[in-house]
Amino acid sequence: MNWLTSRSYAWPILAVVVVFTALNAIASPAFSDPSNWNGLLIGAAPFIITAMAQAAPVMSGDSGIDLSVGPLTGLVNALITAVLVPAGWSDPVSVIGISLAVGVLSGLLNGFMIAVVRVQPIIATLGTFLAYQGITLEFLPMAGGQAPAWLPGLAASHGGVPGILLLLALLGLAWLAFERTAYRRNLLATGGDSRTAYASGINVVAVRIIAYVIAGVLAAIAGLVFTAALGSGDPRVGVPYTLTSIAAVALGGIALSGGRGGMLGAAAAGAVLFLIQTLFTFAQVSIFFIQIIYGLILLVALTLNATGERIRQRRMSVS
Amino acid sequence: MNEQVLEAGANTPPTPAGPLLLEATNIRRTFGETIALDSCTLAVRPGEIHAVVGENGSGKSTLIKIFSGIVRAESGSLRWNDKPVTFRTPRAAQDAGIATVFQETLVLPNMSVRDNVMLGLDGVIRRRSGAERECAAVREALSVVGLGSLDIERAAGTQSLATRQLIGVARSLMRPWRLLVLDESTSAIDIEDRDRLFAALRGFREEGRSILFVSHRMDEIDSIADRTTVLRSGRSVATLERGEYSSETLLGLMSTRTSVRVAAASGERGADAVGRASVVSVQGVSVAAGRKPFDFELRAGEIVGVGGLEGHGQVAFLECIAGARRPVAGSILSEGQAIRSPRDGERARIAFLPRDRKNEGIFSPLSVLDNVTVSALGAVARWGFISTSRRNRMADVMCSRTKVKMASLQAPIGSLSGGNQQKALLGRLIATRPRVLVLNDPLRGVDLGAKRDLYEVLANLADSGVAILLLSTELVELCLLSNRVVVFHDQAVSAVVEREALSERALIDAMFAHRGAAAAE
Repeated sequence: MNWLTSRSYAWPILAVVVVFTALNAIASPAFSDPSNWNGLLIGAAPFIITAMAQAAPVMSGDSGIDLSVGPLTGLVNALITAVLVPAGWSDPVSVIGISLAVGVLSGLLNGFMIAVVRVQPIIATLGTFLAYQGITLEFLPMAGGQAPAWLPGLAASHGGVPGILLLLALLGLAWLAFERTAYRRNLLATGGDSRTAYASGINVVAVRIIAYVIAGVLAAIAGLVFTAALGSGDPRVGVPYTLTSIAAVALGGIALSGGRGGMLGAAAAGAVLFLIQTLFTFAQVSIFFIQIIYGLILLVALTLNATGERIRQRRMSVS
Repeated sequence: MNEQVLEAGANTPPTPAGPLLLEATNIRRTFGETIALDSCTLAVRPGEIHAVVGENGSGKSTLIKIFSGIVRAESGSLRWNDKPVTFRTPRAAQDAGIATVFQETLVLPNMSVRDNVMLGLDGVIRRRSGAERECAAVREALSVVGLGSLDIERAAGTQSLATRQLIGVARSLMRPWRLLVLDESTSAIDIEDRDRLFAALRGFREEGRSILFVSHRMDEIDSIADRTTVLRSGRSVATLERGEYSSETLLGLMSTRTSVRVAAASGERGADAVGRASVVSVQGVSVAAGRKPFDFELRAGEIVGVGGLEGHGQVAFLECIAGARRPVAGSILSEGQAIRSPRDGERARIAFLPRDRKNEGIFSPLSVLDNVTVSALGAVARWGFISTSRRNRMADVMCSRTKVKMASLQAPIGSLSGGNQQKALLGRLIATRPRVLVLNDPLRGVDLGAKRDLYEVLANLADSGVAILLLSTELVELCLLSNRVVVFHDQAVSAVVEREALSERALIDAMFAHRGAAAAE
């Protein structure tokens, strides 16, 4: 249980996951029906994975944020359905390889502009946000296109285990392995105080660039996931995930100033945003109302986040 | 660290001159129009403890930053191990064998002690060693600085300032260094810990490693330095061997001014302060549960020193007087009004100077003008609008009263040296026309020239009737400036040492709650 005790920042959001799962189960018998789980997971995965993508840049500090997360998922979707498949590059190696490469390149671009050229993260990634949106519409002006046949199959159930669950488990394991390297410590140090980190010998530039590469790769994976879910392309689906990912990072106990938090909290918060949506869908509440609720929840979460931070500061200043 | 090494005392003669470890020749560095280093020459031998002293803006910090790869020299040569070098990053300097403990950047509060000690040792992704070996190495480094029993998984932010400084030292010890640079890294450490650290430093010297040591404390230099280099206005003035100089010589070299003596008229003031009106009355106050309450009167025109070992309740006492904290028991009155909140303190014209200048004092990017006048804008307003001319006049007056040296009132306060920032902050407090000044270690990290100015400023303020409560970690300062000193031990007042009985020995006795002190009470 050490992995859980060392992540106390994520306890509140994990509790909220449990509460909303229970509420969903009470609101609708369909939620508890195992035959629906695969569909639910496919719906939840983009929320969870884009939230994880947003976590690394925010943790890297100096107002770190990656607005391009949403449009990048859309770009990957359009690239697969409107470019790769028509060109005949529809085998798994090309599709997955090229998608991930796009993620890496996007991360390198954002990271280079932020860590080397030193453009404000919100401005740099607003630039890529707009650029990706434009490229997406160039590839795919309106919904259409075709996902490779094998891709929806990957997301389907494999011997009773939903494909998405396997993917999430794989991502979790990959992150746990990555955490065992020095990177997590370097990321938190850079986010906590970049001057101290630099003076103590940490390669702050490399740490930052890698944070944006992680964001790019995870966003590309999210793009693959909803291409699998849709079975086709849609130039409008990606963009909203930028906002939900930022909301999830705030909900997930990650300090927006950097230096505190982790992937688990972000992923759990992404799941919560999805669970709220399904709960209101079950309760047949208008989609506009869901937006209002999202807004209120975000405000409450930020208030709690700030209060917790204050209490922690006070505890630390007592000496 | 074995006993034998710890025993190696101050009497060991320094290693004879031989090949040099670090040799800086005619180093020059400017920042915009400011010449930080003009022509600085300094050489460190293997196996010596080399002190660097100097006034305000004499270039010590810049020199340290050049040695540790944070700043690059514009001209001049730097040789390490008899080879010319330029350190482009902090990492490069570390890899060469220079470990630096900086004055300002200490620890990351949210991260564990272990993570803090390990900071910067790993690659970006690759770890240097497995978890077990890492913990063992961290514990070993911590035990060298006397923190062997610290829980290394606890957040570093929960530790005292002194412990955090020692964690910074431990971090540097993790590297295979040959030169350890300490930039005022002992300013918050109490005497006992400091002596332990110095013993460790002497041990390193015996191993043939060198220490470059920046300090503003003469007693530290006396007790540990083999050689001392004096900087003045970006130039190295002299390097003196141990025994060739006294504190007086060093102070003389550092300064172009002739008067080294401090305005120590406090003795005379002490006599007539007795008859003066009490401005703050402390009645039955305890700063921690279950501790013996105490009474105390602060009178107009006196400087009352506040001393104690780190974390013994003296800071809480100061905060209570300023209204920033409520005492556990008892009450604090000013002219019959209870002080229970910062607003009460403000109303009673009690001005508080926090210890953490960088975070709680200055607005770094704002001008000196803004910083000095920010608390007294009401006084320079006309019909509710700020009058530029009145405001400039106020800033001028305050800066000249506190002897701030700056390019202009428009200069960002962050560009001033620590000592001048502190003077400007004092100016801000005086602008509010306080009756009481509560100063939490105002002379920490301030160079000697600025200290001398501040001594004078404080004495003048007291003469004009302001009551001053002055916390200092330096005994000499308490002795020099105070009419009497309140000494804390274990969250309670262990003694009030009056002017006639004031000596470093008496204060140390009281800090350690020695029996002699009980009698003085």
